[in-house]
Amino acid sequence: MLARSCLRSARAFAGLRNGAVHVSKRAASSSSSGANAESPLRLNIAAAAATAVAASSIAWYYHLYGPTADAATPAEEGLHPTKYPWVHQQWFKTFDHQALRRGFQVYREVCASCHSLSRVPYRALVGTILTLDEAKALAEENEYDSEPNEQGEIEKRPGKLSDYLPAPYKNEEAARFANNGALPPDLSLIVKGRHGGCDYIFSLLTGYPDEPPAGAQVGAGLNFNPYFPGTGIAMARVLFDGLVDYEDGTPATTSQMAKDVTEFLNWAAEPEMDDRKRMGMKVLVVTSVLFALSVWVKRYKWAWLKSRKIVYDPPKTPNTPPRL
Amino acid sequence: MGIWDVITELVEAAAPWSTADAEAPAEVPEETKAEEPEEEAEEDEEEEEEEEEPVDPKETLEEECKNSKECAPAKHHFDECVERVTNAQENGGTKEDCVEEFFHLAHCASQCAAPKLWSILK
Ligand code: HEC
Repeated sequence: MLARSCLRSARAFAGLRNGAVHVSKRAASSSSSGANAESPLRLNIAAAAATAVAASSIAWYYHLYGPTADAATPAEEGLHPTKYPWVHQQWFKTFDHQALRRGFQVYREVCASCHSLSRVPYRALVGTILTLDEAKALAEENEYDSEPNEQGEIEKRPGKLSDYLPAPYKNEEAARFANNGALPPDLSLIVKGRHGGCDYIFSLLTGYPDEPPAGAQVGAGLNFNPYFPGTGIAMARVLFDGLVDYEDGTPATTSQMAKDVTEFLNWAAEPEMDDRKRMGMKVLVVTSVLFALSVWVKRYKWAWLKSRKIVYDPPKTPNTPPRL
Repeated sequence: MGIWDVITELVEAAAPWSTADAEAPAEVPEETKAEEPEEEAEEDEEEEEEEEEPVDPKETLEEECKNSKECAPAKHHFDECVERVTNAQENGGTKEDCVEEFFHLAHCASQCAAPKLWSILK
């Protein structure tokens, strides 16, 4: 009780002080305007000048930085990919795991003969793309170096879930040799490693025109693809309608396969996305609970203040002089 | 997506009981299994009849878009350029190419086809 009344008096004091400041401020401003009143003409000139300065500073800025100079021609830059409405890019959507499964099939049957996927172990596929048994069977199809035996010889053993997907070539030189000097990049992080991400990969895979536009220069051993910077890419079109047989009966058109494999590559680049979104939702849930709690606590704590009533009871003195 | 989806998904994310396991789906009981091969065989036949060669919806959609009013200016420029350049090539070569015109047309067409394409693809 004592503490509360102390607080209250302090508040009252603060209120007084504020009032005092306010009063003195008003006095100051009214005195200055009273002493040397500006003529309306001068005020107008000042406003006009300030506006002119503002406008010309904008103009100057655009004069300096407005026009952009491109160091590359549009062909060198490559056609910017169109934005596609990927499901997994929506805030509350996970990867489409059926699509991931199809995409992995496309990777294995088409891309894996040239591109490695060296950062993806078999265990990552379990539960996201394959079942446990499928992943084990897939791992066992390939041979890996085992630990040295007692004679120091390194023998081969069938793959385990902890092994990584095998690369198609022994090393970079072998890869270049097989591909006319061009290196097929590792696809593990390709979605993150290219401007445009999924949109770029999808456009690249589906964007090969039947023939290059008139007059376009296509280097020897290159293929025209508008989305590839420079438009000459060493990878020929690889996806054709009906190339794979989807186990779920989806028609394997070029764009369907490209979409699936792109989504799969996006998963390979950020397999944690589903967990991240789940975590984000948990954060939303917890903060909304805490917020609701804080509203109730506030109501409880403020109840005494909100429900009090201040009544002014004028003293009832009988001999007040009558008002004018 | 509706607000209800958001709510159900929030609940699903927080609910400890909604988990998916990586194990193979339970074995199909013997009776249904025995019937399956026949069904599959039938399906295969049907598929072979119907979908000999699936047609890529992207190509058809973009072709439609190229001929639509939306892309008419870009198509006009491209066609004109192709004509000019092929003529010039026949008469002794030119340095001009139609890459930029092609870009504008391709961009317009894929932009126009994108939402339609995604509604068709799975
Ligand atoms: C015949 C071998 C071969 C196959 C099959 C193949 N690629 Fe390629 N890929 C290449 C080569 C070679 C390059 C390098 C091209 C270059 O640098 O000009 C490349 C480059 C790429 C690039 C990088 C483009 C860039 O921006 O640098 C991506 C993405 C790609 N391939 C995706 C795929 C996908 C997805 C598949 C499967 C559907 C696939 N590739 C199948 C040979 C292949």
